[in-house]
Amino acid sequence: MNAATRPAGPSRRNFLSVAGVGALALFGAGSLAACGQRTVAGVSNASDALLPTTIPLKAQAADIAGTADGVPSAFFKYPKAFRSVEKAPLNGTKITAITNLFGTAPNGRGSNPAWQAIEERLGGTVEITSVSSDDYDTKFNTVVAGGDLPDLMLNNGSAVKDTIEFLQAKCADLTPYLGGDKIAAYPNLAAIPEIFWKNTVQAGKIYSLPIPRNLTGGSGFVNQTMLEKVGVSSTADIKDKDDFYRVATALTDPANNQWALGSTKFGLTMLHHIFRTPNVWRNDGGKLTRAFETEEYLAAIEFAAKLYKDGLYVPGSEGWTKSQMVNAFIAGKVAMIYDGLPAYTGPTGYGRSLPAANPANKAVPFIPFGHDGGKAQTWLDNVTFGTVMLKQNDEAKLKEVLGVANFLAAPFGSEEYLLLNYGVEGTDYTLDGNGNPIATERGLLDTAVPWKYLAAPQQVVFDPSNKEIATTLHSAYSKLIPLGVANPCETLFSPTDSSQGSKLGQPVSDAATAFIAGRGDMAGLKAAIAAWKTSGGDTIRGEYEQALAS
Amino acid sequence: MSTPVANPSNALRAPRPTLRQRWEAGNERPVWMEKPKPAMQLGKAILIVAICFMALYPLFAVLATSLSSQTEIANNNGLVLFPKEPTLAAYQTIFAGGVVTNALVRSLLITLIGTALSLVVTVAMAYGLSRRNLVGGRFFLMTALFTMLFSPGIIPSFLMVKELGLLNSYAALVLPTLMSAFNLVVVRSFFMNLPQELFEAAKIDGAGDFRILVQMVLPLSKGVLAVVGLFYAVSYWNAFFNAMLYLNDDKWPLSMILRQYVLLGQPMGDAGAVAEIAVPSQAIQMAVVVVSLLPIVIVFPFLQRYFTKGVLTGAIKG
Repeated sequence: MNAATRPAGPSRRNFLSVAGVGALALFGAGSLAACGQRTVAGVSNASDALLPTTIPLKAQAADIAGTADGVPSAFFKYPKAFRSVEKAPLNGTKITAITNLFGTAPNGRGSNPAWQAIEERLGGTVEITSVSSDDYDTKFNTVVAGGDLPDLMLNNGSAVKDTIEFLQAKCADLTPYLGGDKIAAYPNLAAIPEIFWKNTVQAGKIYSLPIPRNLTGGSGFVNQTMLEKVGVSSTADIKDKDDFYRVATALTDPANNQWALGSTKFGLTMLHHIFRTPNVWRNDGGKLTRAFETEEYLAAIEFAAKLYKDGLYVPGSEGWTKSQMVNAFIAGKVAMIYDGLPAYTGPTGYGRSLPAANPANKAVPFIPFGHDGGKAQTWLDNVTFGTVMLKQNDEAKLKEVLGVANFLAAPFGSEEYLLLNYGVEGTDYTLDGNGNPIATERGLLDTAVPWKYLAAPQQVVFDPSNKEIATTLHSAYSKLIPLGVANPCETLFSPTDSSQGSKLGQPVSDAATAFIAGRGDMAGLKAAIAAWKTSGGDTIRGEYEQALAS
Repeated sequence: MSTPVANPSNALRAPRPTLRQRWEAGNERPVWMEKPKPAMQLGKAILIVAICFMALYPLFAVLATSLSSQTEIANNNGLVLFPKEPTLAAYQTIFAGGVVTNALVRSLLITLIGTALSLVVTVAMAYGLSRRNLVGGRFFLMTALFTMLFSPGIIPSFLMVKELGLLNSYAALVLPTLMSAFNLVVVRSFFMNLPQELFEAAKIDGAGDFRILVQMVLPLSKGVLAVVGLFYAVSYWNAFFNAMLYLNDDKWPLSMILRQYVLLGQPMGDAGAVAEIAVPSQAIQMAVVVVSLLPIVIVFPFLQRYFTKGVLTGAIKG
């Protein structure tokens, strides 16, 4: 059973009670009731009935079923495709969009059969303005200032500073079209579980569409072969932090150019999971504590400093680019890194790239353990990639645009998904003996059009190259998601955090880096945290607490 | 006290020996004409080699890495100097799809046309402003210089381009940057320092300003034109920001394509967004860098002889 076939998605509270086992203990039921309703102080929350009803599609059975708490379904091969959209949403009309582009620019429409085929199915044209994530904020704000807003606009979380005001002034309220059972008119959007829609609600209204991800980014990856050489079959078997230190020491052999750890910015996420650091904020009955104010955070940083001081990190690895980190991991220079779980599958994923470089090596997701012998705590930090806002328009136009989004959100296993992600058969991909699409060289460029950053279905685990890769990743999600805690402020809005949060938090991050690298001390880190409180941190806290209480 | 007066008759009879004659006679040698000692020569040679090494090493590393397989790059921690099995696979990949090839052609055309137009406009304005009798010349010069001190900002520029209907057109990459005030000052200074007698003679012979500019001034200004042309060409070749602001990805020049590749290897963000990006092979990243460098590397040696002379002439005088 996959996501599309399982019974009606969990309710918001049900989901959190399952996925956030740790969260229940930490946050309390009262705070959870407030989660899922992004609001600003003074603006009333929406009722639960506001969220779209989840209506699963009839779809193919997965090779490994997903679970109600958000573990994605896994497929070993692409199922027989079904058509999920019968009627073209456009009628010779054009819509515009602005979003992110990852990787190189795609082939233009004129020389891109996949793009042409998609627009033929849509019944009109889509003009997409796309730039890299680094340039997106600049481009988006320039376009907004130009006054000619596109019909679909990615909200990446940083481009829009005053989110509420922008949404209310420029974006369409989608509640009348998607709230409750109204979403049934858009079956592919309706199949997206409720948890993902929570991020689309602001000031009591649905203002955007979610681009779902698999809830957690995970705790990193480990070279299983290296781990087994020091007598450990899985990181989950490590007893506590002292045992981890012993394993890390055994994995480190500078004379042979080998270290236990080495990641951009020290790859601290895995240590925070081990020490059960809160996910951005901790909610104790309405009182918020920022993660770096907690003892768990300080303990994790102190442990990282000890590991660094004792030479268990690759020297200087905290400044690595992603390419450098990937190279070091693939080459077996470093045994454990932090990268997001989606980096495991696909042609360049760790699941394939490590054995390709050295057949003896194998990468597996890092499964964390508790620093004190108890359970670890992961973060539900990858619920959505972002959300997509719709420009204010008349009803007919909005329905057209939602129809296009419904097409783009076609689920895995559908003809539309195949077209959007793999292009046109024969030109952009061929089918292997098992019916799996194999992209051609041209297909990689034809399918680089960023459709999936305008609307998308719930994700699945799929890697046709090797059953073991899909099985391993699904197993990791199964272990990590139940340990996950949500950020209690994920769906809330703080004007100060939105405009100054990054700037205010930077000195704390710098002090932690300095401490770990031996250039500073714990007193310096604590002083930076104290300064954060007085320079705006307490204001942010107050705004979130007010939003939680409203 | 009276000043001794040289005997004019002696001066006529015995001309003062030249510097070289005095040096060869061994009684007077300026320090810069002394024959360097072997140790000094060795030191200079080492210094020059070291500087060359620092300049060439990164280029060599980029080239060598672009010719390596991803496995070899990974096994060598991202830096390959001597590929064991050199391969052109990265170049085949980037040229196979046509995206890089098309972007390369676009960049070449934008650079050629933009540089030509910029030179025409800059020379015309510089010539006018270099004439001392131009009515309102000071006003126009100050207006141009104002743009050196105060840039218009991103959003006003975008609005201007939008109102002119230039969005998503190649003209948006050329017109907003058609003339650089700095280059205008360089060319104007050069023109002002040409001998005024030439202009006066030409006018007496009946030449108009256009003829003076084309037949007299420009042939004398090859150096400064080469330099300013190179400045313009490099800026058009490297420009990505305006392309990002004004063009959709199907019209991007090579600089934006290169940026897309290189950005993917940069430091990561947080959490799940990290894995959103499949980092392209480092060989491909380096191959794109090589492709983008090639035109400048090819053109520069032909202009180099004008470079120092042109810049100094325009910058120091006037």
